[in-house]
Amino acid sequence: MAQPRRFELAMSPHVISNQTTRKIMFDVVIALLPALAAATWFFGPRALFIVIISSVTAVAAEYLCLKFMKRPVSFALDGSAIVTGMLLAYNLPAGVPMWLPIIGTAFAIVVGKQAFGGLGHNIVNPALLGRAFLVASFPVLMTAGWTAPEAWRYGDEGAYSTSAITAEEMSVIPDADAISGATPLNVLKQTFDLDSSAESAIAEGDAEEAESLMDRAASMRGALYSSSTYRNLLLGRRGGCLGETSVILLIVGGIYLVMRGVLELRLPISYLGTVALFAWIFGGSGWFNGDPVFHVLSGGVVLGGIFMVSDMVTTPVTPKGRIIFGLGAGLITMVIRRWGGYPEGCSYSILLMNLTTPLIDRYTKPKVFGEVKDNG
Amino acid sequence: MTKARTFRGGTHPPGHKNLSSGQTIRRIPAPEIVRVPLCQHLGAPSKPVVSKGDSVKRGQEIGAQNGFISLPTHSPVNGTVKSVEELPMPHRRTGPAVVIETESEEGGQVFEPWKDYTAHSPDEIIERVKLAGVCGMGGASFPTYVKLSPPPDKVIDTLILNGVECEPYLTADHRLMLENPDDIILGMEILAHALGVQNYMIGIEVNKPDAIELMEKKGCRVLPLKVSYPQGAEKQLIDAAVGREVPAGGLPMDIGVVVQNVGTAAAVAQAVRDGIPSIRRTITVTGAGVRSPGNYDACVGTLFSSLIEESGGYAEDVQRLVSGGPMMGISLYTDEVPVTKGTSGVLALSASEARDVAEGPCIRCGKCVDACPLRLTPNLIALAAENQRWGMAEDFGALNCMACGTCSYVCPSARYLVHYIKKAQDAIRARGKEA
Repeated sequence: MAQPRRFELAMSPHVISNQTTRKIMFDVVIALLPALAAATWFFGPRALFIVIISSVTAVAAEYLCLKFMKRPVSFALDGSAIVTGMLLAYNLPAGVPMWLPIIGTAFAIVVGKQAFGGLGHNIVNPALLGRAFLVASFPVLMTAGWTAPEAWRYGDEGAYSTSAITAEEMSVIPDADAISGATPLNVLKQTFDLDSSAESAIAEGDAEEAESLMDRAASMRGALYSSSTYRNLLLGRRGGCLGETSVILLIVGGIYLVMRGVLELRLPISYLGTVALFAWIFGGSGWFNGDPVFHVLSGGVVLGGIFMVSDMVTTPVTPKGRIIFGLGAGLITMVIRRWGGYPEGCSYSILLMNLTTPLIDRYTKPKVFGEVKDNG
Repeated sequence: MTKARTFRGGTHPPGHKNLSSGQTIRRIPAPEIVRVPLCQHLGAPSKPVVSKGDSVKRGQEIGAQNGFISLPTHSPVNGTVKSVEELPMPHRRTGPAVVIETESEEGGQVFEPWKDYTAHSPDEIIERVKLAGVCGMGGASFPTYVKLSPPPDKVIDTLILNGVECEPYLTADHRLMLENPDDIILGMEILAHALGVQNYMIGIEVNKPDAIELMEKKGCRVLPLKVSYPQGAEKQLIDAAVGREVPAGGLPMDIGVVVQNVGTAAAVAQAVRDGIPSIRRTITVTGAGVRSPGNYDACVGTLFSSLIEESGGYAEDVQRLVSGGPMMGISLYTDEVPVTKGTSGVLALSASEARDVAEGPCIRCGKCVDACPLRLTPNLIALAAENQRWGMAEDFGALNCMACGTCSYVCPSARYLVHYIKKAQDAIRARGKEA
């Protein structure tokens, strides 16, 4: 008689969807590519090199960590390290020296991710932690390396202005030379400084000085809140971190992620919506006269909103929690932009909110089926 | 046709139903030896009332009801009892069974046939359903008469027949609706009579348009439902059908609803109209692991191995044997287990079909949270369970989980979420007993 047949035992369910972590991560990589094309177009091959160096460093650092900790090294190729490497590079000015992304990425992977237990266990977004580390350690390099868009092709003369303000708009601003070499958000920050200088001038009784300061601030704001500036911001003709230039191409990536079921819209919508709301409330010179369009298009909020606020590992899993996270990050971003020491608050706002994620999840757990609905 | 309704959440695994949905139900004669489990229903196993050497008739009670949540068990054949022993079971490790050597399969009508059920009171009907050993044939095997006997303070106003069959691969209920609609409809009317409800309907997923059409033609009220797993879960079906949520920890009767599987309705019809107890059922044998999948009408106590033989034997690359569907079914190490009243399918999965992915870490993507039909946070419960933080698992609602498997199915990291949650449930219940 034949040996009775024996089957493997396994837990249900016995089938599984074909979605995998690896596919998700490579979808994110694909979604980041349009913005990389924009970075290369505006800042030259140098931008591409920075992204490649950063990604390679990320995978290498991940591999070495896993090897050292005697864990399966195949994790290094699951795509998550590449995403971290790319995002960190996207948060750097194009003019940084090539060793900077290496240090930043290595820190992001080793301290930000693997020290906490690797994929899925890190508390804050590793790429943003890496960026924060670089800003703290090399503040000058991180805030002065702004390159003018297309300067690599046309030279500084033919390049667009880093502030995204067109030459015509620029010509009406008194002492316009003083604001060159800055990003749009730097210019905005300068208008806030002019506002406070004007206030102290009034306090000292120098009305004439105050008036000229306020005129200058108003003309700068007029140039920032103009359709030509909006157009440059949408296309990417501006100074800034290399991945945040072209809003349109970032959104193209976002649409791809939504179509692939990877990006859940609650986070980006609540984040960008909150930024817009508070931009209107206090993003201008006084109250309720800020310009939401300018605030959403400038700086890194679109990059952050699509690719970092929605980082799965470090943000809440509950539907309500995701909305709260977006609200919190949006508010902090705007507070930093308006009153903080930095012109941009996107990355710190996300880092701070990352820390609250476990708590948010805990207090926003959905009401279980049958607990809420009144059947009466 | 009215618009297909559904519930919130869920997922849509590939159906693979065309493997067997075109096969008519084939009646398999009783095998030479039947191994009739005494633990086919949920609750206490029947107490054996025969012993070795006894001669039994088809339909004769061989196990007596043993408590409220329990049922009697009947012999599917005329024959001689060979033994009463513990045998491997499809739904538990082992269980008591009566082994009978078959002589013939005639007769079986042990109760008086009631040609006109309306001449009998609900209590009489319920008693008959109990004596005939009818239990839920969708998989859970809960004694049907208990569902028909709500406490006096619960008013039942709606009866829903479950013809959803949302488990991938399975087609037994589909075929039954196509081939025996009259028994199902009669059963539904008898159940409605027993419950005293005027409002009754049958829920069918729109991937079975032929069944919907046939049932509607027969004058039956059909509720078309969207194809979504787990649409056939009792609570989700009720939500889609009448828009009421069964309270967490409660029963459908708490909101005035009773749900019965279509196979159960047919069994009720046969028990009442023909006087035959529950001794046969429809089973799908399918998967790429068998050569020719099919649907069968087989005796309880028939070994899975004989069903596989009827289906042309195993394919070369058979990998896993499952009792039930692929989402909630139980994997078996052997095919030497008997069919029970609750066996809806025998699934032989080939190496390419059976899940074969190593588990990765949770990346907190939230797909399980979005998909959970009970609005739980499976990843957080699993995380708590992995760290043996049972209190936290309970906080996150672990006890509400019905183990439908939706979370594990959608998980991109292939985490065994259901397993962790079940572990948490066991630990929480054990702790509750200690306290």
